[in-house]
Amino acid sequence: MALLEGRNLRKTYKLSRRNTVEALKGVEVSIEKGEMVAIMGPSGSGKSTLMHILGLLHTPDAGSGNSLSNGPAPELLLGGQNMASLSDSARTKIRALRMGFVFQDFNLVPTLTALENVTLACEYAGVGGKQAKAAGIEALGLVGLADRADHKPSELSGGEQQRVAIARALVNKPEIILADEPTGNLDSDRSAEVLALLRQFNREHGQTIVLVTHDSEVGEACDRVIKMRDGRIRDQGIRTGTPVMGVGEAVA
Amino acid sequence: MRLVRDLGRRKLRSFLTITGIAIGIMALVVFGSMANKMNDLIGGGSKYYANKDIVSIGSTFSGSFQPLSLSDLDKIRKVDGVAAATPSVEMMLDSTTTATMGTPEMIGGYVPGGDKGLETFKLEIATGRLLTADDTGNVTVLGSDLARKMNATVGGKVTIRDTQFTVVGIMAPTLTAPDKEAMVPLSTAQQLFIKTLPPLFQAKLNAADLATSITVYPKAGVDPETLKANLKAALGSDYTVMSGKDFDAMLGSFSAIFSLVLTGIAMLSLLVGGLSTVNTMAMSVAERTREIGIKRAIGASAWRIRREIVLESAAIGLIAGVIGLLVGAGMTVMFNDAGRASGNVLFELTAATALTAVGFATGLGALAGFIPAWHASRLDPVTALRYE
Repeated sequence: MALLEGRNLRKTYKLSRRNTVEALKGVEVSIEKGEMVAIMGPSGSGKSTLMHILGLLHTPDAGSGNSLSNGPAPELLLGGQNMASLSDSARTKIRALRMGFVFQDFNLVPTLTALENVTLACEYAGVGGKQAKAAGIEALGLVGLADRADHKPSELSGGEQQRVAIARALVNKPEIILADEPTGNLDSDRSAEVLALLRQFNREHGQTIVLVTHDSEVGEACDRVIKMRDGRIRDQGIRTGTPVMGVGEAVA
Repeated sequence: MRLVRDLGRRKLRSFLTITGIAIGIMALVVFGSMANKMNDLIGGGSKYYANKDIVSIGSTFSGSFQPLSLSDLDKIRKVDGVAAATPSVEMMLDSTTTATMGTPEMIGGYVPGGDKGLETFKLEIATGRLLTADDTGNVTVLGSDLARKMNATVGGKVTIRDTQFTVVGIMAPTLTAPDKEAMVPLSTAQQLFIKTLPPLFQAKLNAADLATSITVYPKAGVDPETLKANLKAALGSDYTVMSGKDFDAMLGSFSAIFSLVLTGIAMLSLLVGGLSTVNTMAMSVAERTREIGIKRAIGASAWRIRREIVLESAAIGLIAGVIGLLVGAGMTVMFNDAGRASGNVLFELTAATALTAVGFATGLGALAGFIPAWHASRLDPVTALRYE
């Protein structure tokens, strides 16, 4: 069984009373456990929308009952559970406990130290105090920033900031990491570093990773590239790598 | 603490907002302390007047004032329900005094023991002794504020209305009228009083027969209101009879209006402070839109975001409240020290006022945070993440 499975995923954004944009026009997607998958496509192809739906940041259109879209009811299964029609608070809880996020703009909280940024994710997952601190230090160690724990984001380079963000995504040992253009704001050296780091977690710990990118080099480094255009998947891609299966779904 | 760091990242704005509320709280503390003092004075008066009726002719306020004669005393003592009646002569300490803040400084001439032990408002002596029935001539017992103002000590001399008096005692503070009173024997007060009257009257009147008011104590079980009716019936309409209820009616409403005006001024400044906090928090939410987006994305519940904003807003209120309280308390101490020399102690900061002020500031801060917090918690994480 796939870790993450979507069927009939549609998303129509209402920009104004008359103007709507059909960002996803019925997408079927399946992510295996331990896979590192890139979603690629030109701007406006719906790749970010798909990631937001897979990451439970947005819900897919409800289907026939919905005035915006008349397709069949959507299905979004995470470990076999349907997530398509969960409440905001239920989705928030799953994001906190079972998912990790990395974004293009690093997106750290500027007033918090690197360690506090990482342990924020622990707090949201209901882990606090010494346990969170230990997990945070461990995660920063994994991204090679143990010595930077007490630095504020402004005292870190772009690459370091993104590694802190990766540590934050990893700290709760989530089932899946979703990354939206994680290398988009980095030069090619830092880009390669970050990518290598993600690859390492995928290889060594079987961490499932879905990333959105428009950089074909990043795509090539993944096990599979899903190509999108005009709100549809054009190519589900073929697995090139050999993901390590069954080693465990999380970072040791 | 993270919360303080968040406040610290926009120092000027936080400072201005905190200053705004602090000024309001300071006003609340200062005016509240003033209202406390007023209410103490009035409360003391109310307690004093509770169990008796005061008979006078006309009223000191209306200008139709005339002295009573001690022959009135005999009439009063015969009225049904009277347990004791005792004359007194009261006048302003200083002949030029017209209006004062709080209670005026007075000279009061009494007959020690004239109440036959019925007076429930007990005066405590701090040093020296109270007047006795044997005292005559120029001896006085001073109220605590007056003693401090006159720099008087027991055994020393003070000058009242150009006459030298020997201080035989100083009273403990009552926080109300007696603190500013010089008590003298009745006969002494009568002599001082007659000098205040126009010469034509002076010739007609016998000083030893004068009283400005007569305090009447009801027998056990007799309602002062009933006694008041009896007295009015016996004395006729020229006489004024005031009961505790009349006093409360007269000053109770005054006290309520006074408190209302002072609280109103303080509330107005707090309203401004509160709106400024709403503005500060709304701006800070707008500035942190992306940050809120990232927090929501990685799993912060809407409730947690709301709590964060409300707590930060409450912290602004708490800090401002404490600063306002400290400055306000400092001001009341300063004003009281400055006023003590002239006997005008006008402020009394109570623990209740202090706690109310800080609690109110914190509550105001939290309340001001609700709208921005609600707004923040409803942001779509994806939209918020893209916010520039």
